[in-house]
Formats: sequence, structure tokens, C-alpha cells
Amino acid sequence: MNFTGSILLVDDEPHIRKYVGLILRQLGAPKILEAANGEEAIATYERKRPDLVLLDINMPIMDGMETLKRLKALDPSCVVVMLTSIANRLNVEAALALGAVNYIRKDTPKDEITKALTEAIDSSFEKQ
Amino acid sequence: MESTVASPPIALSGRKILVVDDDRLNLRIIGGILRGEGYVLAEGNSGERALEIYAEFKPDLVLLDVMMPGIDGFETCRRLKKTYGGKCAPVIFITAKNESDDVVEGLGAGGVDYLPKPFKAKEVLARIRSHLQNQALVEQLSEANAEKNKFLGMCAHDLRNPLASIRGLTEFLRDGSVGPLSPEQNDLIETIHSASQSMLVLVNELLDVAAIEAGELKLHLEAEDLATLIGKSVALMNMEAATKKTGVKFAPAGAVPKLVLDAAKIRQVIDNLLSNAIKYSPPGSTITVTLSADVAHGTCAFAVQDQGPGIPEGERNRLFKDFSRLSAKPTGGEKSTGLGLAICRKIVEAHRGTITAENLPAGGCEFRVVLPISA
Repeated sequence: MNFTGSILLVDDEPHIRKYVGLILRQLGAPKILEAANGEEAIATYERKRPDLVLLDINMPIMDGMETLKRLKALDPSCVVVMLTSIANRLNVEAALALGAVNYIRKDTPKDEITKALTEAIDSSFEKQ
Repeated sequence: MESTVASPPIALSGRKILVVDDDRLNLRIIGGILRGEGYVLAEGNSGERALEIYAEFKPDLVLLDVMMPGIDGFETCRRLKKTYGGKCAPVIFITAKNESDDVVEGLGAGGVDYLPKPFKAKEVLARIRSHLQNQALVEQLSEANAEKNKFLGMCAHDLRNPLASIRGLTEFLRDGSVGPLSPEQNDLIETIHSASQSMLVLVNELLDVAAIEAGELKLHLEAEDLATLIGKSVALMNMEAATKKTGVKFAPAGAVPKLVLDAAKIRQVIDNLLSNAIKYSPPGSTITVTLSADVAHGTCAFAVQDQGPGIPEGERNRLFKDFSRLSAKPTGGEKSTGLGLAICRKIVEAHRGTITAENLPAGGCEFRVVLPISA
């Protein structure tokens, strides 16, 4: 994959950032930025304007839904894919309604996460 | 060291009691006794009237005469139990009809106690207090149980993500994409991987149980072909079976109409029964899945038959309860959480079906699921 863009990975759990980050690197993503909550995510987005945002829903300080709203207000064309786990269907639907392009289940096997991340990167290509 | 958990005293004053008697003098006497204790009363002079008052008054306890014009006390009690089921307030009969056959009939009709007339005020009050207290304890218990399920669900939910990460990260190490590992290191990684895998299965089942118990089992119903569902599961499970040198055979008996069901949930039941059968089957044996329709009775049944050790005598009644691992051991050292069959039962019952288990005369056992054809 000749993806040259940057990806902002937002999750309060370090192990998720480590794990998803490893998969992204394996997929050839050259530049991965990290944030541990919504506030950090917004600040990083403003400075770096990444091509794709992977956004957790349950986070302290500022959760994913609020972050999504603010990102969309800041840049209506930003590409956001939600990171979620089981039993969050209502949240996912609300996030899609707010303009997230898709969601990824963090608790599925690695192959499935890899496939979903590939699609997420593709969706940010379409924007470019 | 001795420790006892003292529960807070349960306040009974203000509890609502429905008193039913066709004799006005009796009503007045009992009324006086109960009001003196701070109970709130409603009075009825017939069974029919009692049913009407019950619906509006929603009493915590019913004191019911037996011999009355119209429907008698026993019948009134039966109708209350039929209408309100497990939520019905306890019913105490208070009657001069007190041969032991009467007592048996009254308790059989759903009453919790039986007081003879002429009654002693002290005894009436003591019995009422005792049953109201029991009732309150049951309520407390079911609230505590609901809390427990909520906690279980939250716990399981928070355990999932770290476990999924552990599993995924070990996959990175295992496939060598972050550098080569020695055979010993590989062995350790394999162990971590399979331990996190079985913990994920347990956590998922805990989440299922918590959601089901909290009444969150929602079915997404659609017309589905059961044979196709079973076929998919059999194909997948045959791979697992092959590692234990067993095989799964699907033998449908004729065509079966489409059923309205939640495909993912029923698939979970089929997978679980097959995975159990594989777990408890000796190498070289065959697991058979049957499917048939009984149009006359409007039902459809599928069954999983194995050639394993069968269900130990006397353990059958525990089979479908939460956390009930039986004494039989998996033949390949697999893990079991004791939740799978409880989840199966809840899913099948949500479809208004039944699940049963029988030992087969030729050895092995059969798990049978019967589902209604019309939803």
C-alpha cells in the first residue's frame, strides 16, 4: 500500500494504541500520531491535519462523540472511523449520524481489525 | 471468628393488605386488628370483588376467606396466580374450612399459609408479619441480583479490550513480524495466546448471561432456513472435530419450512451444542445432527447426538443452569465455563422453544431443540 498520509489514533488505553499502531505500521502507514483523549486529539488535529482519525468512544476528559462533533465543526471533510467494542451499537449509530464514515470493533480477531483498518485507509484515500 | 451480616429491619407499617370475607363482622374485627398495626387495608366481600380490588389496590398481601357466595377463595386465589404469576402477592387463607384436605387444596391453589377460624389476633399478626418479611426479602434479593448482573456486565465489558489486545499482540510475536523467536519463546507465546483466547470466550459468555438476565436479549427475527444455518455450523465445526479425529454428520429428514428466528442467536445455540459434543466425544466417534418438522404439532426440531459418556445420572437437572459444570471431563483438555448451555436455554426460550437432553440407549446423549413453526 503506498499510503503516504498521516493517521491520528485516539484511545485512552495505551495497549490499544500499541496494538492498533502495530497493525497500521504493518500495513505500511508511514506516520502515526497518538492522542489519549478528545482534547489532545483536537489539539493534534489542528496542528497536523491528519488524513484519517481513528477515534475511541469511551474516554475521560472528552469522549469520542463530543470529539467527533468538534472535529466535524473544525473540518467538515475530516475522515473519522470510530473504534468501539461490543454493546455499543447505539453509540455507533449516533456516530455515523454525526458523520463518522465507519466503525471498527477492537475486540475482534486481528485479521478482522486489519481488514477494517485497510478499508479505513482506503476511505481516506478517496478524500485525497 | 464469627461474623454475621445484619440486614436492616424491614418496615412493615404502611404495607397494603387486601382482606376478603363475605361476613361483615369478620371484616370489621380483622380490619381493626390490622389497622392497629399500621397496615393500610382494602376490603372485599366476595371473590369477584377481590379480583377487581386487587387490580387497583395492588396489595402486598391478601387475607382470603374460602367459603363465599360466587367464586370461592381457592378459585379466587387460582385466578390471582394466573393473572399475576410470580408477581402475585402472597395469599393467606383464613377459614373455618380447615380439614387437612382443605389445607392441601388451599396451598395447592397457590396460597402461602392457612389460618383456622376462629382465629387468634396474635397468630394472624405473626403470620402476616412473617410472610410480608419473606416477600420483602425476595424483593431485596432480586434487586441485588439485578445489581450483580449489571456489575458482571460492566466487568466483563472492561476486560474484553485488554484481553483482545493481549491476544492480538501475541499474534504479532507469533508470526515473527517483529523479529524471530526461539522455540521456547514461541512456546510461551502460544500459551499466552491460548490463555487469553479462553478468557475472551469466558468473558463473552459472562456478558451474554448478564445481558440476558438484565432482560436485554433482543431478537432480530427474520424468516430463515434452519437447514442452511445448521449446514454452515457443521462445516465450521468439522474443522475443530478433525483435530480430535471425530466427525460431524448432518442428516436432515426431509424438507423443513422456513422459521422466523434470530439467525445469529440460533447459530450460537447450534455452535454451542456442536462444540460441546466435540468436547466430550472420544476420538474416532461420530456426531450426528438431525433436523425434522412435525407439521401436525406446528414444531420443528433439531438434535445433536454424540457418542460420548452421556450425562451423569442425577446431574441432568443442573445441566441448563448458570455455572453448572458437570463431572464429565472434556476428552481433549478443553475448558468449559459452565455458561454455554444456560445461554442456549435462554435463547431457545426467548424463541418460545424448548431444549432438552437425554442419554441415548446405545450410549452417548442427545440435545434436542424444539422450535415453533409459526412465530
